[in-house]
Amino acid sequence: MANTLRLYLTCIRNTLDAAMCLQNFPCQEVERHNKPEVELKTSPELLLKPVLICRNEAEKCLIETSINSIRISMKVKQSDELENILAKKFLRFLSMRAESFQVLRRKPVQGYDISFLVTNYHCEDMHKHKLIDFIVQFMEDIDKEISELKLSVNTRGRLVATEFLKQFI
Amino acid sequence: MACFNKVSPALVEILNRLQSAETPTDFDHNLHEYGSARYNIQASASNPEIVNLSIWMPPIYPESSSDCLPNCALQDIRNLYFDAAQIEPPKQGFMLTLRINFTKLPKRKDDRTKAITEIGSLQSIILMSQLKDMLWNLEPKDIGSGIYKPIKIAYQPRDPFFIIKMPEKTIVIYPMRFGDDSDVVLATSFFQELIDASNSAAYSKAPRCSWSPIPPSELRGESFHCLTTNGGFVSFEFFSQQIKGIKAENTVRNLLNFIAYVKYHVKCTRGFIQRKMRQRQESLTEAIRNARIGEEDNGKQQNGHKHVKKLMNFSKSKVLKRRKETSAAVESLKGVNRREEEEAEKESLLPSEKNGAAPAISGRKKNGSTRKVQWNDNKGNNLVEVLEFYPSEESDSDDEFLDSCFCIIM
Repeated sequence: MANTLRLYLTCIRNTLDAAMCLQNFPCQEVERHNKPEVELKTSPELLLKPVLICRNEAEKCLIETSINSIRISMKVKQSDELENILAKKFLRFLSMRAESFQVLRRKPVQGYDISFLVTNYHCEDMHKHKLIDFIVQFMEDIDKEISELKLSVNTRGRLVATEFLKQFI
Repeated sequence: MACFNKVSPALVEILNRLQSAETPTDFDHNLHEYGSARYNIQASASNPEIVNLSIWMPPIYPESSSDCLPNCALQDIRNLYFDAAQIEPPKQGFMLTLRINFTKLPKRKDDRTKAITEIGSLQSIILMSQLKDMLWNLEPKDIGSGIYKPIKIAYQPRDPFFIIKMPEKTIVIYPMRFGDDSDVVLATSFFQELIDASNSAAYSKAPRCSWSPIPPSELRGESFHCLTTNGGFVSFEFFSQQIKGIKAENTVRNLLNFIAYVKYHVKCTRGFIQRKMRQRQESLTEAIRNARIGEEDNGKQQNGHKHVKKLMNFSKSKVLKRRKETSAAVESLKGVNRREEEEAEKESLLPSEKNGAAPAISGRKKNGSTRKVQWNDNKGNNLVEVLEFYPSEESDSDDEFLDSCFCIIM
């Protein structure tokens, strides 16, 4: 793993570790409702300042914390058109299967490619350190998958192109 | 877009049915293929061995005639079919009529099938002959200032391409159109690889390839509709030796197939990406599943506790034998418990010697019965229950200790 990526991911991991101390907190506006405050943002006293971690202009991670939920939004590196299409396809594919990931948001926050929403219920159901591991692994895997896909697509293209040209020789 | 297929499967099937029909019938059938070729197949009950096959195709380029075929195509058909199919005066509305005589087809089944398949490739023979003829014999048309007139080849009306005949070379230009933006990107990366490969030394004998997002200067003057694309323009440069002789047939086939080839590659790449994404999704889902509290324990249980694993390996005879022994042991245990219970009741009801409240345990200690302790709840029910489980599967384990299992539920 590149040094810059390691630092970036370590920073995200540490921030998540510090931010993920959630507790059950019923809605202050509506009785008998319990909603993620980070989504509603009805009571400013229940929100922490969002943290933005940037690796570069194209890759950044926004961590918004509230008393009972935390929202993590990511922007994935897309250096050219092919990477852009692959990232779009892959993230759309995952978002459409958000129910398998439990913490994945179906729609990303504006300006980002993918978002997670972790509530206090998720923290009760899951090990905190493993949840953080998952998010960091997810980020790593997406980068890896997009690079691999790009490489595979180009390799396939080269093979197909040479096969086509071979027919003329 | 359908790939340019050498053989028409529908035509071959019809011909096969006609030649193997037990009861001859009058037959007149029209067949449209890919929206561009039109066939008419006629047979009569009076002479079932003769079938008239007529074909009409749109002219390969506007200057060519749509009513009759060029001599080269007719010559190719004669050379290929010999006596099995003879050229007749074309039926009205068609450009060619063949009189197929089943009696002149080879008698052996394999050869007969092969001959019918060759007749089924009539469209491709005509197309390839026309294109070959055009590439060889068409004179370059200079329209001034060194620009030559492009010829639009529209054998697939939706995806036409252009041939520009020059004195020293021939340029083929394909306007590429795709339905989806992602297809455009995938195709563009393929074109880049195609250009790199064609420029490499290993493929110096192959035609030079280039790609441009805007219409090349050779297409100046063509209609706006033809020059509107989202995938740019791919050009191939052919020299005379590449389109003559043995290579001509391959070259012509590749030219007719290029757009279908690219589209098929894009489709396969999309499938490949989808497969890869699904694999990655599975690994990520696994990671989140493992994060759940108790998931590890469940995993361990699924793998099986070592004792439980061994318990599953008993033979039926051993199970029955051990069941008898254990049931006897449980009965005796129950008997002891009952007796102890009665004694404890007595002890608790009788006044104590010193304090007046003797606990059941002290009473049992006196009797020296320390093997089993029983606690009752406030209502007097047992707090401890002994349950016995037997394995449902039989096996040949020799471990007698693990022949049965006791589970105590508090």
